[in-house]
Amino acid sequence: MSKRQILLGNEAIARGIVEAGCAVATAYPGTPSSEILPAVAAYADELGTKTAVEWGINEKVAFEVAAAASFSGQRACAVMKQVGMNVAADGIMSVAQFNMAGGFLLVVADDPGPHSSQTEQDTRFFSMFAKLPCFDPSSAEEAKRMVFDAYDLSERHQIISVLRPSVRVDHCRQDVELGEVREVPNKAAFKKDPKRWVCLPANVRVSHPQLNAKIDAIAEEFETDFDSYNYEVPARSEAKLAVVAGGVSFAIVMDILKATGRTDVAVLKIGTPFPLPVKKVQDFIARHDNVLFLEETYPVMEMQLPDRTKIKGRWNGFVPRAGELLPEVIEEILYRALGEERPKREEERLKAALQELKVTPKPPALCPGCPHRASFFAIHKALPAAIYPSDIGCYTLGVNQKMVDSVVCMGASVSQGSGFFLAHHVDGKDQPVVSTIGDSTFFHMGVPGLINAVYNRHAFVLAILDNSLTAMTGGQSHPGLGDKLRREDSGVAVDLVPLIRGCGVSHVSVVASYDVAEGTKAIKEAWQFAKENRTPTVVVFRHPCMLLRPKQPRVAVTVDQEKCIGCRYCITNFNCPGLVFSDEKKKAYIDERFCVACGVCRFVCPHGAIVAVDGEEA
Amino acid sequence: MQYVIVGLGGQGILFSSKVLGQVALARDEKVLGSEVHGMAQRGGSVISHFKIGPYNSPLVRAGEADVLVAFEQGEGFRNLHFLRDGGTLVVNIHQKEALENENLKAYLASRKIKVHAIEGYEILKKTMGGRFLFLNVLILGALCASGAGGVTFDEVKEAVASLSPERFRADNLKVLALGHEAIKV
Repeated sequence: MSKRQILLGNEAIARGIVEAGCAVATAYPGTPSSEILPAVAAYADELGTKTAVEWGINEKVAFEVAAAASFSGQRACAVMKQVGMNVAADGIMSVAQFNMAGGFLLVVADDPGPHSSQTEQDTRFFSMFAKLPCFDPSSAEEAKRMVFDAYDLSERHQIISVLRPSVRVDHCRQDVELGEVREVPNKAAFKKDPKRWVCLPANVRVSHPQLNAKIDAIAEEFETDFDSYNYEVPARSEAKLAVVAGGVSFAIVMDILKATGRTDVAVLKIGTPFPLPVKKVQDFIARHDNVLFLEETYPVMEMQLPDRTKIKGRWNGFVPRAGELLPEVIEEILYRALGEERPKREEERLKAALQELKVTPKPPALCPGCPHRASFFAIHKALPAAIYPSDIGCYTLGVNQKMVDSVVCMGASVSQGSGFFLAHHVDGKDQPVVSTIGDSTFFHMGVPGLINAVYNRHAFVLAILDNSLTAMTGGQSHPGLGDKLRREDSGVAVDLVPLIRGCGVSHVSVVASYDVAEGTKAIKEAWQFAKENRTPTVVVFRHPCMLLRPKQPRVAVTVDQEKCIGCRYCITNFNCPGLVFSDEKKKAYIDERFCVACGVCRFVCPHGAIVAVDGEEA
Repeated sequence: MQYVIVGLGGQGILFSSKVLGQVALARDEKVLGSEVHGMAQRGGSVISHFKIGPYNSPLVRAGEADVLVAFEQGEGFRNLHFLRDGGTLVVNIHQKEALENENLKAYLASRKIKVHAIEGYEILKKTMGGRFLFLNVLILGALCASGAGGVTFDEVKEAVASLSPERFRADNLKVLALGHEAIKV
């Protein structure tokens, strides 16, 4: 019996993965992909499948675990965000050349914009680089359908299939048809075959030409057999413009044409951008004079065409070469491509009002009560002249407290600490450096950097901000916690402190994040030890993430308006949504709409103006 | 029907589009929406798009929204360009005097935008002991009362009841009614 339900795009993909008979599913969380794996576990529980569902310590490990399941004959999948694919790339590039046994689906979520990422890179381009077929869905419903076809294609050609949903598909909500689990014959039956499973150069000289043949065969299939993903929506009158579009851009174009009642635009939708069904696209181009390409974020479809002279697109900059193709952006491009004036909207008075009312967009900030804010304040108090490398996670938002001087990628805070030490050390300078990293990110890729720093004798302090969660992505588990995703499945928690000691660190201290005085003291001592012994030291700041709604004493606070001198020290260095500045009164005050009464700001004001409300201190 | 829902991360905006989705599903209508997750969601400006009907894209184009629901007045004003002429703003106000701004008034009048304002924080302080997490349901109540949301109070009540966790259900329904009463049409 079919059933419709409103699902997040990521839930629709997860449902597809379970219905397609996936036996091993792994991932590392990262926006916009994070909701897929928990939903795989939930559907596997609901439908009673055998699927093993696991967070990997990082994307590389997650990918390699799933890959061996495929070598064994099982259907497997690995899920990550686009920059996670960089981490997993070493494994992906090798395995791309293997003749897979069980179907393998690699789901990589892209973030044009970007909204929650450090790059706007395009996984379709990465698929081209690795010579792997790529599916690019335009909706949640289509993404779910593509999962089945991607698995079938993977098994037909013994190759990894890539599904590339972009953020607007991942985080769209749509009514989607639910199906039953499909019976697949796959069982674990690993056949030893070094020519197949060992990437020795001699074997690669055989497998690389094989990979080329596979991708050529898939290109032919994409020309003819995938008409439900690659199809033309002809103009209903003489076409003044022909648009080739993929992903959510296709959906946006269709809505604009409908809303404006236009009948003079032909559209070719492409759902398999690599390998591009070149003949299909060339035929479409040949039949039209004015051709526009809309794709996110790189000109991947365009690049596969030998003749681009007629094309308006991202290649020649007609379409902006960076950024998300929002409906307003596409609307502007369409009018420009048609050579028409876009209907103007009068927004001058609104602009004036916003200016007068001082309304500006609010950038992301650490939550009220967030333990990281307290940790950053303690670090600043201890070593105000330090360099502060940081990392990928909520604590990147420590930038609002001027406590983040560099962020590169997962785990780089540790290696950046080494580099800042060395740069100053060779000049004979003792430059204090305090790197900050979260618990999950430390497990992900911080550990090798720390061992490297011990080995090479780099003096800096690593502050691990342990909030018992992978928080930024919505609250996932990690090795430090030991929880697993399937019902009645449990793991083992890997203890942080013995791990740090095992890396060779001799000075490790653990403090409560809210205890500003202790934190300050611990950082000072750690730097002293690091400097004197030329070695990295670690301070672990501990307090649960506010998303976990920890039970903690409520300390209602107020700003004593007599004592506040309006110096804005608390705004600059603590930067809490619950503690704001009145431009009229020139004083700080508590905004009770946001304050969660954590009480930490009492330790922030140098004039003692922030105090507990009488009798409310627990 | 096209909605844009705006506010700040952590105000419970996602729950509102879930409720609207539930209502549409009960009517057997097509649903498409777009949400914000991840870093963009942490305390900063957030925007949810929601469409009921035969659409392809989850995003509402500027100038096309029938209703703009704002959990925070600044976010509401900033996103007025999403409304179509004659559209409706349902907004939680904490500084009433902003509505007296001459340029704002002139803009709203020129585009025939109707405004339904609710002093959400005041209401929740008086009735719910300042538990502001009920803001989302309060505004949904106001949306029903505005008559512009294309949804009835009973439909929304049923959806809120079915989507609320057990321990919040009674309070959610109470606050929904408060939001409904707060708007006089």
